[in-house]
Amino acid sequence: MEKAVRIQPDLQFVKDLQEVGGEALKRCYQCATCSVVCPISPAENPYPRKEMVWAQWGLKDRLVNDIDIWLCHNCGTCSDMCPRGAKPGDLLSALRNMAYRNLVEPVAIGKWMSSSSYLPILAGIPALLYLFIWIIRASQLGSFFPLFTWDEHAHAFVTDPNGVVVYGGLFPGDFTIDPIFGLVALLVAFVFFRGVVKLFKSFETLPKTFVVAGAPKPTWIEAVKGVILDEVATHVKWKKCGYSTAADEQKFKGHFILFYGFIALAIVTSIVAVSHWGGKVVSFIAPLGHTPMELWNPVKVLANVGALMLLYGLTQLTKRRLNQDPTKQGSSFYDWYLLGVIWFIALTGIFAELLRLANVPVLAYPIYYFHLICVFMLFAYLPWSKLGHLVYRTAALVYARRLGRVAVEPKEIKIFKL
Amino acid sequence: MAEKIGVYIDQSGVGPLLNAEELAEFVKNKFGGATPVVKTHPRLASEDGRALIKADVDAGGLDGVLVCGSSPRVDWDIFDFPGVLVERVNLREQCAMCYQNPDGSLPAAGGPLPKDLKVMAEDYLRMGVVKLQKMKAPTPDIPETTKRILVLGGGWTGLTSALNAAAAGYDVLLVEQAEALGGWAAKMYKSIPKSYPYTTAEDTGIQQKIKAVTANPRISVATSTALVQLTGAPGNYEAKLAGPKGEETTKVGAVVLATGWVEQDKKYLEPLGYGKFKNVVTSMEFETMVAKGGLSRPGGGTAKSVAFLVDVNLCTAAAAAPAETPAAPAAPAPEAKKPEEKKEGEAAETTFVYPDMESCKHMSYSSELSSLVALKQAGYVVEKDASAVAYIFYDHMMVPGINERYYKAAQDKPGVMLTKGLITDIREDADKGLIISAKDTLLGELIEIKADLVVVPTAMVPVTAHEPTINLNYRQGPAFPDLPLFDGFVDSNYICFPYETRRTGIYAAGCVRQPMTMGTAETDAAGATLKAIQCLASLNRGMAVHPRSGDMSFPVFNFVRCTQCKRCTEECPFGALDDDPKGTPMPNPTRCRRCGTCMGACPERVISFDNYNIDQIGTMIKQIEVPPDMKADGPRALVLVCENDAYPALDMAAMRGHTWSPYVRFIPVRCLGSVNTIWIADAMSRGMDGVLLLGCRYGDDYQCHFVKGSELCNRRMANVAESLNRLGVEPERVLQEQVAIDEYDQVPAIIDRFMDAIIKIGPNPFKGY
Repeated sequence: MEKAVRIQPDLQFVKDLQEVGGEALKRCYQCATCSVVCPISPAENPYPRKEMVWAQWGLKDRLVNDIDIWLCHNCGTCSDMCPRGAKPGDLLSALRNMAYRNLVEPVAIGKWMSSSSYLPILAGIPALLYLFIWIIRASQLGSFFPLFTWDEHAHAFVTDPNGVVVYGGLFPGDFTIDPIFGLVALLVAFVFFRGVVKLFKSFETLPKTFVVAGAPKPTWIEAVKGVILDEVATHVKWKKCGYSTAADEQKFKGHFILFYGFIALAIVTSIVAVSHWGGKVVSFIAPLGHTPMELWNPVKVLANVGALMLLYGLTQLTKRRLNQDPTKQGSSFYDWYLLGVIWFIALTGIFAELLRLANVPVLAYPIYYFHLICVFMLFAYLPWSKLGHLVYRTAALVYARRLGRVAVEPKEIKIFKL
Repeated sequence: MAEKIGVYIDQSGVGPLLNAEELAEFVKNKFGGATPVVKTHPRLASEDGRALIKADVDAGGLDGVLVCGSSPRVDWDIFDFPGVLVERVNLREQCAMCYQNPDGSLPAAGGPLPKDLKVMAEDYLRMGVVKLQKMKAPTPDIPETTKRILVLGGGWTGLTSALNAAAAGYDVLLVEQAEALGGWAAKMYKSIPKSYPYTTAEDTGIQQKIKAVTANPRISVATSTALVQLTGAPGNYEAKLAGPKGEETTKVGAVVLATGWVEQDKKYLEPLGYGKFKNVVTSMEFETMVAKGGLSRPGGGTAKSVAFLVDVNLCTAAAAAPAETPAAPAAPAPEAKKPEEKKEGEAAETTFVYPDMESCKHMSYSSELSSLVALKQAGYVVEKDASAVAYIFYDHMMVPGINERYYKAAQDKPGVMLTKGLITDIREDADKGLIISAKDTLLGELIEIKADLVVVPTAMVPVTAHEPTINLNYRQGPAFPDLPLFDGFVDSNYICFPYETRRTGIYAAGCVRQPMTMGTAETDAAGATLKAIQCLASLNRGMAVHPRSGDMSFPVFNFVRCTQCKRCTEECPFGALDDDPKGTPMPNPTRCRRCGTCMGACPERVISFDNYNIDQIGTMIKQIEVPPDMKADGPRALVLVCENDAYPALDMAAMRGHTWSPYVRFIPVRCLGSVNTIWIADAMSRGMDGVLLLGCRYGDDYQCHFVKGSELCNRRMANVAESLNRLGVEPERVLQEQVAIDEYDQVPAIIDRFMDAIIKIGPNPFKGY
């Protein structure tokens, strides 16, 4: 006889899950409607029904090692169709939230990121850091709101009462921006690395036989390629989650445009960083990333287009969340934190640019200061935020593809027409 | 004996082919002075039609009214004329509407009157007139009655019943065997929800109920008291009670039986570890444990996790295994009953042995309660300790009806965890906790889980599975008959009629009838109480109770010719007849339900009703014209139709456009049990080619309104077949078929199949003699 598996229910885990967005999970009566209606759930051991059962029984060990929570794209079809209002979609996002909170150390940040009551700490860290820099620089430059002109001879900005607003003058990139954000980027990359290793290790408890009979296992390269082409770059999979209602459209378009807005801004940042720091070695590329740029500069144009894309995407996603039916789906703090921070980044970024052009130092510098705080809040806490899905989901999708754990392609059903 | 009969023929009832005037002419010619008034009317079931008859009745010249047209099952309120006998001839549904030509074709609309239809209508008219001629108005003997109701059992159901009866203005004697009122409910911590929103366990309310009962001046309570014997008949029972002050006898009119249940023998729970492991308790034990305080385990320490095993497949499998349980009580019980009943008939002093009917099956019968109780008690666990958990393993979570809301609410508690699953094993851990293994669960194929305490279901066994309880002083014995068929639950489950038992005047309520919740028991108590009141309020006017409610007729015995054969006393399904030492039947009219089974049983034909008797039906049969040549004029068959199900099924079939052979003639009977074999002899000697009996289903899933009627008829038909054989007549000419009221669509096929068989057999050899 096969060996019985010992079950160890964890009541506290049930309560924790209910707190981070799965409050309706106990209502499930295991009819499996959710797994049936899910457009992208695999045929073998489909989600989210099994997750609902595990969650009701507080089977923490299974849920924290569950790859399927990352396969779900939270279209909400399961929650819409659930006859008991158990919101399986919300449970899976709650499980992801729990992963953001607990997957990587220091878990203190995870805790701060889980509730609005810790916002002062999260915002306070960059706020104090840059306030400190601002005060030092103000004492050096003799003003909290200095104006600058470019001194060709000194190859630097120098204060000039008749000059213009130059953010790099007050907060020199070489000393106050790039080192801090560079360090943050390195730390975040390291944390993510550890997170992904941990994640993969947890997946190892999964059965290895998820492959649908006969399907060849892809190599790692093929798996990565597949994920990038099918999921990340094109959002093809996600579109399968449903593209019929206004909310579906808002969600898909919003995310897609927002994603590419970030890509555009990442390209701009890369060009500036590479040409600036690379220019110190290969001097002829240096002018390419010289800021502030003229408005007609193609890189600047790309930056501005990126900013507008952010605004459009945010509008769509926010509209959708505000119009959700609370009996079917809920939004957690994780959702609102991410949307809020990006909103602030986009708005402070755009206003910082406009106020710089209008040359209003008393408004421009504070706005830029806020922009720095928001950007810090987005990137420094990335592994513990919902945006962590950028890495975790991508990693999990690659792993799942390697395992062959992919959704069954729906077969065309013949409909007889009279 | 109606001698001056007014015959009224309804043109709207006889259809387009038959002519009311011609039929009236036929009646006048046939009966002459016996029918001084013969009238037709375009639509009798109208103000005008009623006024026409009323005027003739008021004029005083008539003692009988024969309304010919629609079925007696409709418009009976219109054709109700006090002071005269009223009879109906069903020319609409069972003659005009169901007519088809002998070849199966339908007569052309507006065409000539088919000969066979005319013959049929005339047969029915003749039968109608003679039926009235052979009828008397029943004059019941109205007995002295007491209106006091005896409620047996002082638990939740009995208390409710007593309060209901008192509220309706009846005096109540409440008898409880235990020292205190309250029964099981008083031992419980809480009840499953009884009121909206049906989501939280609530206080049982038993103390308030006890208070209300003891404070009610109409209710007298006798605790520590048992019913030793119940003598007499409804309206006039003498209850012999044994109480703390010795025996006393008191008069009661009707009885509500609310004696409830006892715990099932715990040996059936052994496969789930009960008895072997200290920390395995029954749900009733757990209930009292929680009522006393908390979750402390019998084996020491406090339970932080409690597993409720609603799945009892291990127990039922063990009980089904042949060798393991020598007691296997279900199987021998039915046989044990029968020889014992016979003995009872032989000599009353033979010691009465009541078969024990408890078995493992009661676990399955209690499954709804087991599910609900597990949900309730899982709630106790999280209520008493917010950090404790309750696991529920079920094969079927049975929460019918409104209790679905309770299931949802229970499930919503974080500490209550449910899974479907089959328990495969239970063993003790070193710390006296229990490890439960289960397969086919929602959590995996084969799992095991540890719990500090295990709760197994308490199955409910009706008190009547162990003892007669009602202790009747009846010829047929002290107990309800045939209870092994219901594994001891009181036979109140006529499909359509709860609370009824086979002893008139005694109505069952609560868990003695079937396992039920306190909420259901409350409704049940009200129902049974109303039935008891209805009984008392009928018999004091000489009327029958269900199912012939309001019937004033009763069996009359012509004792001069009685041979003391005891068939009537043995066969009466309701034990209405006692007998004297010589064996002469002693009728008890208030026990009688007027089914006529005794009349059907009597070989000497000494039993009759004023308005329903051997001579009457026999004379009616003789009115059916049987043509001497079957080839030329078709065969003839008599169909004796049970009034309760088969007759309405025929009406419905006709109304829905079914037609059948024009050679059958229907005579309604009160019950197939009332069919005396002499009627079959009458029909056969008249030269009729066959007799079909249409009645209710019999056997374990009987639908007979009088429980045993169709079954007894079937037994008698075996004798009939034997007699026919002896006479050289094919026994296939007499056939009993079972029809349920909803099987109207099959009735035409039954009739046609029978007629085809008759035609194949050929003419009755007695034809023409």
